[in-house]
Amino acid sequence: MSFQKRTLLKVILLGDSGYVHMKFSQQYKATIGADFVTKELQIDDRNVTLQIWDTAGQERFQSLGVAFYRGADCCVLVYDVNVSKSFDNLDNWHEEFLKQVIIMLIWFPIFISCQANPTDPRTFPFILLGNKIDLDGGNSRAVSEKKAKDWCVSKENMPYFETSAKEDINVDAAFHCISKNALENEREQDIYFQGIPDVVTQTEQKSGCAC
Amino acid sequence: MRWLKSECADSYYQVKPECKDVPATRFKIKPGRTLSVRKWLAAFSPNGQLDIRKTLKRIHRGGIHPSIRGEVWEFLLGCYDPMSTFDKRKQIREHRRAQYVRWKKECSEMFPVDGRGKCITSPVITEDRNAKSTEIVTGNGPLDMKVTKWLLTLHQIGLDVTRTDRNLVFYEKQENLSKLWDILSVYAWIDIDVGYCQGMSDLCSPMIILLEHEADAFWCFERLMRRLRENFRCTETSIGVVTQLGHLATVTQVIHPKLHQHFETLGGGHYLFAVRMLMVLFRREFSF
Repeated sequence: MSFQKRTLLKVILLGDSGYVHMKFSQQYKATIGADFVTKELQIDDRNVTLQIWDTAGQERFQSLGVAFYRGADCCVLVYDVNVSKSFDNLDNWHEEFLKQVIIMLIWFPIFISCQANPTDPRTFPFILLGNKIDLDGGNSRAVSEKKAKDWCVSKENMPYFETSAKEDINVDAAFHCISKNALENEREQDIYFQGIPDVVTQTEQKSGCAC
Repeated sequence: MRWLKSECADSYYQVKPECKDVPATRFKIKPGRTLSVRKWLAAFSPNGQLDIRKTLKRIHRGGIHPSIRGEVWEFLLGCYDPMSTFDKRKQIREHRRAQYVRWKKECSEMFPVDGRGKCITSPVITEDRNAKSTEIVTGNGPLDMKVTKWLLTLHQIGLDVTRTDRNLVFYEKQENLSKLWDILSVYAWIDIDVGYCQGMSDLCSPMIILLEHEADAFWCFERLMRRLRENFRCTETSIGVVTQLGHLATVTQVIHPKLHQHFETLGGGHYLFAVRMLMVLFRREFSF
């Protein structure tokens, strides 16, 4: 059990899930509802745990909305460089996120800490990833790097990375940037990993269920 | 048949050798405790009434032997009344199998769900109800709402069928994948409110493994869904499982406030981490 102080950052991935697969594990299983993976990083002298959330492909899970977006420190928009439609839909995802932030402000004002200062949603940290650049050696590309960069400039200079989750190209650089941006907007929240696990162990010992 | 020592149940549901991340089962077949074939057969009266009390007690103590799990589940899921007779159950079974065949035929008339393992993975019609696939039998007029809704869910079933329990050798056989596709698409047709929702393939898969006859597997799944369908139902603003998440949060807050606080801090809020656990009854966490 680590006694080290860590910073937890909640990152959410948004994009057309039919085209974008930004999964890091269990790729052969469908996501149900919302799921997350964690990734540990060191940013300068700080230990950071990224909690990266992704929603399921099926549209009806979009209604998990508010719960999914709550407490986000950074929003990662992902599109597939080989599919124009996934790029065209970025505006929808961007707006959808900001809309949810405003709903949160109305319904859960007390739960919102200083992050994602919704009085000016434009300052919320976004980042754009153009994924699947490895596909067909880049020959099937439908969206140019320039087009994507221009879009980012129009959105408060959103940082942009071209990645391949499959070939592990630029993924680390992207997550480094995500963490840095989120840390700048950080809420005061530190997590200690001791304490709770002791309690869980006790419960485990009590249950003798073998099914 | 007798087992001299505890036997691990893994071998009954063979896992592909290349799949290393599958949780190992803790279930062991224990002689004298596990419900065995012999005990199971002895639990019926001459005309077929089942001593459900004694049976449940044994299941609670030692589980069910994998070789009879399917037929036992039919009772546990409520497909049959334990007090019914052999004759009555035979009659019901035949009736249900015929009903399933009729529904399957209805479906294949709208879209060829033909059991040869053809899984579609892209939409067959567009949102504005124009047929994309030449295989759809549209007749002459526009498609009605119910048919449209059903056709729109089909590709999602196709996408998920090929991703369900891929670690099991059982699903290397095309005919088993076809069964999964057929049952889910027929269910989506008869319960149009719920239709098909991701997660349902995880719940349906064990039924196909445990019950040899496709129609029997369908009815077990249908029974299970009677209890679980609310979680998959969806309105404009909410999905059913959110209610259950709320209950989980309330209970945890009362019995273990410290744990509740921990979840609130770490979990990103609203117990979202438990969505999958509740929707597919821990199928991704435990072995099968």
